[in-house]
Amino acid sequence: MSTVFSLAWRLFRHEARRGELTIILLAIVLSVGAVLSLSLFSERLQGALQERSASFLAADTQLRSRDPADAAWLEKAAEFDLTTAKRVSTRSMAFGEQKMSLVDLRAVNDAYPLKGQVTIADAPFGTESVTDTLPQPGEAWLDSRLFQTLNVALGDQVYIGDASLTIAGVVSEIPDAGFSLFSTEPIVLMRLEDLPATNVAGPGSRVNYVHYFAGEEAQLAAYYDWLRPQLNDEVHRWRAVSDDDSPIGRSVARAERYFLLASLLAIILAAVSIAVAAQRYSQRHFDPVAIMKTLGASGPMIRKIYVLQILFITLLGIALGLIIGVVIQQVVVWALADKVDVTLSVWHWRPVIIAVFTGAICAFLFSLYPLLRLFSVPPLRVLRRDIDSTVSSRTLQFGASGSAVFLLMWAYSQDLTISAILFASGVVLVAGLLVMTYGLILLGRKLGSGSMGPWQLAWARIRRRAMDNSVQLISFSVTIMLLLVVLVMRNDMVAQWRAQLPEGTPNYFLINITQEQKPALSSHFEENNVEVDEFYPVVRGRFVAVNGERVNTEVTKEEENAPREGREGLGREANLTWSNTLQSENRIAAGQWHGDSMLALPDGTFAVSVEADVADRLDIELGDSLTFNIGSEVVTTEVTSFREVNWQTMQPNFFFVIDPAAMEAFKPTYITSFYLDTERKAELTGLLQPFSSVTLFDVDARINQLREIVEQVSLAVEFILILVLAAGSLVLIAQVQASMDERQEELAILRTLGARGKVIRASVVLEFVIIGVVAGFMAALANELSLYLLQTQVFQMEGSWHFAYWLIAPLAGAVVVGLLGAVGCWRLLSLNTTALLRRMV
Amino acid sequence: MITTKKITKTVTTSEGQLQILQPISFQVKDGESIAIVGASGSGKSTLLSLLAGLDQVTSGEIFLDDEPLHSLDEEARAQLRGAKVGFIFQSFMLVQSLTALENIMLPAEIAGLPDARKRAQAILDDVGLAHRAHHYPNQLSGGEQQRVAIARAFIGQPKILFADEPTGNLDEANSHKVEALLFKLNRDVGTTLVLVTHDTALAKKCDRQLVMQGGALSEPERTGDAQSREAG
Repeated sequence: MSTVFSLAWRLFRHEARRGELTIILLAIVLSVGAVLSLSLFSERLQGALQERSASFLAADTQLRSRDPADAAWLEKAAEFDLTTAKRVSTRSMAFGEQKMSLVDLRAVNDAYPLKGQVTIADAPFGTESVTDTLPQPGEAWLDSRLFQTLNVALGDQVYIGDASLTIAGVVSEIPDAGFSLFSTEPIVLMRLEDLPATNVAGPGSRVNYVHYFAGEEAQLAAYYDWLRPQLNDEVHRWRAVSDDDSPIGRSVARAERYFLLASLLAIILAAVSIAVAAQRYSQRHFDPVAIMKTLGASGPMIRKIYVLQILFITLLGIALGLIIGVVIQQVVVWALADKVDVTLSVWHWRPVIIAVFTGAICAFLFSLYPLLRLFSVPPLRVLRRDIDSTVSSRTLQFGASGSAVFLLMWAYSQDLTISAILFASGVVLVAGLLVMTYGLILLGRKLGSGSMGPWQLAWARIRRRAMDNSVQLISFSVTIMLLLVVLVMRNDMVAQWRAQLPEGTPNYFLINITQEQKPALSSHFEENNVEVDEFYPVVRGRFVAVNGERVNTEVTKEEENAPREGREGLGREANLTWSNTLQSENRIAAGQWHGDSMLALPDGTFAVSVEADVADRLDIELGDSLTFNIGSEVVTTEVTSFREVNWQTMQPNFFFVIDPAAMEAFKPTYITSFYLDTERKAELTGLLQPFSSVTLFDVDARINQLREIVEQVSLAVEFILILVLAAGSLVLIAQVQASMDERQEELAILRTLGARGKVIRASVVLEFVIIGVVAGFMAALANELSLYLLQTQVFQMEGSWHFAYWLIAPLAGAVVVGLLGAVGCWRLLSLNTTALLRRMV
Repeated sequence: MITTKKITKTVTTSEGQLQILQPISFQVKDGESIAIVGASGSGKSTLLSLLAGLDQVTSGEIFLDDEPLHSLDEEARAQLRGAKVGFIFQSFMLVQSLTALENIMLPAEIAGLPDARKRAQAILDDVGLAHRAHHYPNQLSGGEQQRVAIARAFIGQPKILFADEPTGNLDEANSHKVEALLFKLNRDVGTTLVLVTHDTALAKKCDRQLVMQGGALSEPERTGDAQSREAG
C-alpha cells in the first residue's frame, strides 16, 4: 500500500505542479466555492428575511386561542430557552368625554413584542418614530384616528369598560397589527395588568389570547413537537413565520425558493464542469495506465493509484473551495452591508457540509465512468496508440451522471418537485441535443463539402466531434440553459414583485363614505390635487346559507380556518359590493361574468361572483344558491362565476360581487383609495376636515415596508444571479479549455502541414460559434420548458413565454463560446509547431 | 526461454475475419538475441505483443520462461511481465508526469523491489544521464528519452527484453549510442533480447534474424557474424 500511496502521491504532486490537474481542480474548487458562498449567503439572507417576517408576527411563532394557555406550557417553553410574551385582545367600545367608538383593544405584557418594533407618533398623524417602550400601567396609546373619532387629545382620559386610562401616546404601527382593509377598528394599546379592571374580558366576551414565542429554530421545533399533542385544533392555532400567507410572506417564500433553485443550479453547473474535467483527465491518463500495466502493474494497483489521486484532488479542491467560498460570500455581504441587513452572527455549518458533500459526491460520481474507462485501457496501447478503452457505454455514463445529479438535487433541496422539474428538462435537453447532433452531422455533410477553407474545416471537426463527443455540446447547452433559467426567473420574479407596488400605489384608503359625500369628496380632493380612485359601494351582510343549508357564522375572523362541524361559513360579516364591471386584477376563472351578458335567472335571484379560493374553502359550486342577510333583508343569489383575485395588489378586493340589480334597495357606504406623497402627509388633516364621519386607513408605512423588502430581496437575488453567472462562465471556460486540448493534436498537424494561422483560427472560432448557436438554441428550448414548469408548479406564478431569449440565447452562445474559443485557440497557436508537437507526445 | 507452437492471430474487421499471423512456431534460447525484421504491416509488432503477453493468441501456445502465456489471464500476464520482462518502445512511452529518475523507478516500485530509488540512480548513471535525473520527459531529447527507457527496462534485471523499433525515432548519432547501450546492458545482465526492427544493420547485431512477411515467419541462414559469435 505504501508503494501505491507514494506512487499516487508522486503522480499527483507532479501533475499538480505541471498544471495537469488545473482544470479538474478548478472544477471542484468552483463547485465547492459556488455552493458554499451561495448557501452561506442565502442562509444569512433567509435568516435576515425570516427575522423580518418574524417582525410581522411580533415573534417567531404565535399560539392563538380562545382560552388562556396552560401555565405549564409556558414553563415548558422556558425550559426550551424560548422567550415568551402575551397579548389579550378583544373588540370593545372606547369612550371619550363625548363620543365613543368600537376599538381593537390590545392588552400586552411588558415582554411584547418579541420581534419587530412599535412605532409611535408625536401627535395624531404626526411624525413617526420607533420606540422600545410600552404604555405604562394606567396608560393607553391610541390610533391617530381615535383622537378624531373620540374627540380626545393626549393627556385626556379614555374609558374602556369599567376602567379609565390616561391617553399617553399615539400608536401608529405595531408588529402584528395584521392587514385587512375591513378589520378597521382602530387600535388601543394598553397593559395586560390593567385588563382585569376593565371587565371587558370576562366570561362570555369574545377574547383572543395570543402567546408569542421566540428562540432558536430547532428549539422552537422541539417545543412544538412537545406541545402539539396537547393542542386542540378547534381552539388553538400555531402560527409560524413560514405560515405567513401575506404578500410579504409569499415574496419571502418565493425568494427562498429562488435561492434554493440557484444553489441547485450551481450544483449542476459544478457537476457538469467536473464531468468535463474528469473525462479529460481520464483521456490524458490512458498512456500512463497502459505503460504501468505493461510494466506489470495489476488491476487493483492501478485502481488504487487513481482512486487515491482523485481523493487527493478532491481534498485539495474542497479545501481551496471552502476558503474561496467564504471569501466570496464575505465580499458579497460586505458589498451589501448598507443595503441588506445580513450580518448574522451565527455561523451556519449546514452550507459547509453541503459544499463538502457536493464536492465529494461530484468528484467521485462524475469521475466514476471516466475512471472505469481508464482502468480498462489495455496494455497493448503501448504498441498500438489507436487502441482505446474497452469500456464505452453512453447508457452507463448518462445513467450514472444523471442519477448522481438527481440524487444531489433531491438530497439538497429535499423537494422532489423542484428536483424532478429541473431534472426532467435536463433529460429533454440531452435527448433533444442528441437528435440535434445527428441532424447536424447530416446538415454538415452538405454544408461542409468543397475545398478546405475555414468553413469546411470547422464543419469537418464538428461532424467528427459531434459523434465523438456530444457530451461537450450537451454541457455547453446545459450551462447556457441553467444561466438562462436563473436570469429569466429573476427578471420575471422581480418584475412581478415590483408590479405589485408600482409608483403611485394608493397608500390611503377612505371608508364609510356616504352616497351624499361622494361628489363633495371627489371635488374637494381634486381641488387639493389629490386623485381619488374608483368608489366601491359596500354593504355589510351576513352570509347565511348555501342551497338553503345554514352555514356556521359565529366565528371570529381569527378562527376562520379552524375546522368545525357543519357547513363552513365565512365566520364574520362579509363586505358585499356590486358592480357590472370586472375590477382590474380580477379574472374570471369559471362561469360567466354577470356584467357581460344577461343571464336568465329565476325571479328574485341575482347573480353573484365568488372569489375562487373562498369558493373552494366554503365548498361552493357554480349554480349554488347563496343567501345573505343584509340588515333585515334576505338576498338570494346564484353563483354564476368564480374570480381569481390578485391579493398581492394594494386595492380593495371582495369575496362576493353581486349583480347591482339585487342591491338597489340598500344604502351603501363607499370605499376608495388615493395616493399621497409622504411629504404631503401634513395635508391629510385638512383634506379630511369636511368629512369627519369618513374613516382614513393609512397603509403608507406598510407599503413602504413592503417595497423595502421587495428591494432588498431583489438586490439579494441580483447578487445571487451574478454569482451563478460567474460560476457558469467559469464552467464554460473550463469546457472550452478542455475541448481545446482535444484540438491540440489536430492543430499541430494542420500547422505542420503549413496551414496558415489565420485559417486555423478562423476555423476554430467558426466551429465554436456554430456550437454556441446550437447550444444556445437548445438551451432556449429547454429553458422555456423548465421555466414554464418552475413558474407554474414551484413558484406559483403565471407561466409566460420568453420569445426574446430564442434570439438572445443563440446569439449570446455564439458570441461567448466563440470568444472563449478564440482566446483558447490564440493560446495554442502562440506556441510554435515544435512545442505543439512535443506536447502531443 | 521462449517457445511458440503454431500461434496465430485473427482479428475481426468490418469486412470479416482477417488473419494477421499465419501459424508460427519457433524457439528462443536463454540469453539469445533475436531480431524480427520485415516491412511495415507484416505483423512484426503483433508477434511482439503476443510474445510479451500484451495481447492474446487466437490459437496455438506460447511459453515464456516455461510459463504458458496463452492460458494466463490479463492479471497473471501482468504479474509475469512485471517479474521477468522489460520493454523498450519506438515512442519511448515514458510517463510524462514523472521525472527521468521516477520513470526508471516505476517498474521496481510496481514489482515492490526495495531501494528502487538507489537502483534507479545507479542505472541512470550507467546510461550517462545522472545529471538529468529530475527532468521531465518533454525536457529531454529523443535520444535521452530512449536512454531513460532503456534504463527503465533494465532496472528489474529482466530475463527477457522486448524492444520495438528502439532506434526508429532517433537520428543516426543517437541511434548508435542507444544501440551500443542496449547491447552492452544486454550482455551485462544476460538478458534474452527480442528486437523488432526494419533496420537491417541493427538486426545484424543480433544472434538470429527472423523475417516476417505477410504474417508468416521464416528464418534465413544465419549470418557468419552471428554463427561465429555462437560458436565462440
